[in-house]
Amino acid sequence: MHDVEVVTFPNAEGLPLYGTLHHPAQPQPELPVVVLLSPGVKMRVGPGRLYVPLTQMLTEAGHRVLRFDFYGLGDAAGELEETQLADVYNHIEVGRYVADTQAAMQWLREHLGSQQFILGGLCGGAITALLTAQREPQVAGLLSLGMTVTLASNAATPAKYLTRAQLDSRRRGYYRRLLQPKSWLRLLTFQSEYGVIWRSMKRLIIKEPPPQSQSQSQQAIEQRGNANPLFPPAYFAFLARGGQALMLFSEKDRLQSEYEEKFVAAYQEQLQPYQSQIHQHIVKDANHVLSFTPWQREMVAVSQQWLRRLYPQAAGERNA
Amino acid sequence: MLTVTETPFFFARDQARLFGFLHLPAGPITTGWVMSHPFAEEKLWSHRVFVSFARALAQRGHAVLRFDYMGAGDSSGTTPDTSLDTHLSDLKEAIAELSRRVPQLSTIGLAGLRLGASFAALTAEAAAKDEQLALLRHAPLILWDPVLDGDGYFQEVLRSNLSTQLAVYGKVVDNREALTARILGGEPVNVDGYDIGKALLESCGVNPLLDVTPKQHLGPTLVMQIAASKAQKDREDLAALAASYRQGSVQRAAEQPFWREIKPFYARAEQLQALTLQWLDQHAAETAAELAQDTHRSSANA
Repeated sequence: MHDVEVVTFPNAEGLPLYGTLHHPAQPQPELPVVVLLSPGVKMRVGPGRLYVPLTQMLTEAGHRVLRFDFYGLGDAAGELEETQLADVYNHIEVGRYVADTQAAMQWLREHLGSQQFILGGLCGGAITALLTAQREPQVAGLLSLGMTVTLASNAATPAKYLTRAQLDSRRRGYYRRLLQPKSWLRLLTFQSEYGVIWRSMKRLIIKEPPPQSQSQSQQAIEQRGNANPLFPPAYFAFLARGGQALMLFSEKDRLQSEYEEKFVAAYQEQLQPYQSQIHQHIVKDANHVLSFTPWQREMVAVSQQWLRRLYPQAAGERNA
Repeated sequence: MLTVTETPFFFARDQARLFGFLHLPAGPITTGWVMSHPFAEEKLWSHRVFVSFARALAQRGHAVLRFDYMGAGDSSGTTPDTSLDTHLSDLKEAIAELSRRVPQLSTIGLAGLRLGASFAALTAEAAAKDEQLALLRHAPLILWDPVLDGDGYFQEVLRSNLSTQLAVYGKVVDNREALTARILGGEPVNVDGYDIGKALLESCGVNPLLDVTPKQHLGPTLVMQIAASKAQKDREDLAALAASYRQGSVQRAAEQPFWREIKPFYARAEQLQALTLQWLDQHAAETAAELAQDTHRSSANA
């Protein structure tokens, strides 16, 4: 088992943040430290303790790993003002916790002498990692699990912003529930999302044109609706300075189709030069939080392969 | 405002490494609290409510220890390693750890939510015969939405696996009976990222997990029903549980089920916290009045 210690460090506002620092049994100080960032309002172990097996793999490969809570969440000091989850998510997506992540990196520089970092996380953790990487040139890698490229508050109007894949999925769900009295009760008592039902069915009647790349039409960007405007510049800035990205998605997660339809489709040409720096992987059947054990294992295995390619000197590779 | 020191640390229970977080106010402290978190993902959703309540207790001069059970949070192990015994041993060790860190405590109360409340109640009951738990005997006990029917609870937990199957495969491949059979056959079943193992299901997935026979616990006990709307009926099982305690009372807090994913963000459960603290104040006032009466009687007799 790897060694672990509790750590406390202040953020930019002086609020104490708490975390755990995991040391490998065979330390390799030349390898980047991995900082795993909390997703959404979940604390530093991630949903279903997703970060626990990931940390185990990372320490076995020789990396030191820091997990910590952002202010106002987990064990950390501070209070959040929002009363709705979507609003909390929205603030995270526009960089609320970039400064906390920078504080963690600064603490690691001062206490471990770390000069190179990999930032990773699920969903809100992934976008925080990217927005931080845009500002911190010492971030060499992005271990992104379910990157979110949209803004959550706009998700309150799903009829407007659902992707094609999401609409198809919703329609299949409606078919399944056709014989359920509860569903008809919702429909007849005005509780259903009529806009979503209409848009999902309309796709059967009216053939929509395929998504266009940005160079073909500026309109494509406008159609991206609730897309996070901070994502493309941050991603391209990171890639332009040689950053390496693991973009892992779950097949049954809306984030995958959002990434494809609201980002890749609009920026195909700009992405072309960076294909060798992006390793994209989709975990078949998996849901947003990779809850089933085989999905978690696949995520860990893919992350391990990605790291081995980047750092062939790592312990796991040496022992293999 | 009291100055409160917050300290995270690890402590050991046999081979397990448990994560603890101590909220310690400045000044004289006589009452301590150990908080017992709910199971699996319910712990993560309710985490901030626990933190807020711990901070509120610490502001009132109480030492509070929150900790992660083995297989949860930052503690070592995974859920298939756990059972009722491991949970009760973890809780007992957490109580001992608080006593070691704050040796001046004269009582230690327990506060728990959902399955964590059930573990707290079982531990408080064990205190009658266990000298190592003597500090619990007259202490307050707070049970937020405790689980009485462990079988029903775990069936509800397994429903989450069915929901995932439905969302992913478009149908239920394994129903609850099949999942239960798999677990009892020694193959853990995953629910929201947590593997439910045979030892846990056999020991906790029983009815009753908490019964309503008369209890030995001497301290005041609050059983809190958490019901989001007035339409939800008062729960007779919780009233019966409260009645089984010598100083038991049942109350109702209008809160959303903050241990699940819901639309509001629950940084704290305002009414639940206020009612619980009010109950504690009332208990403290009664204890003070009894002490004053005793003193008066002693003086009169002298």
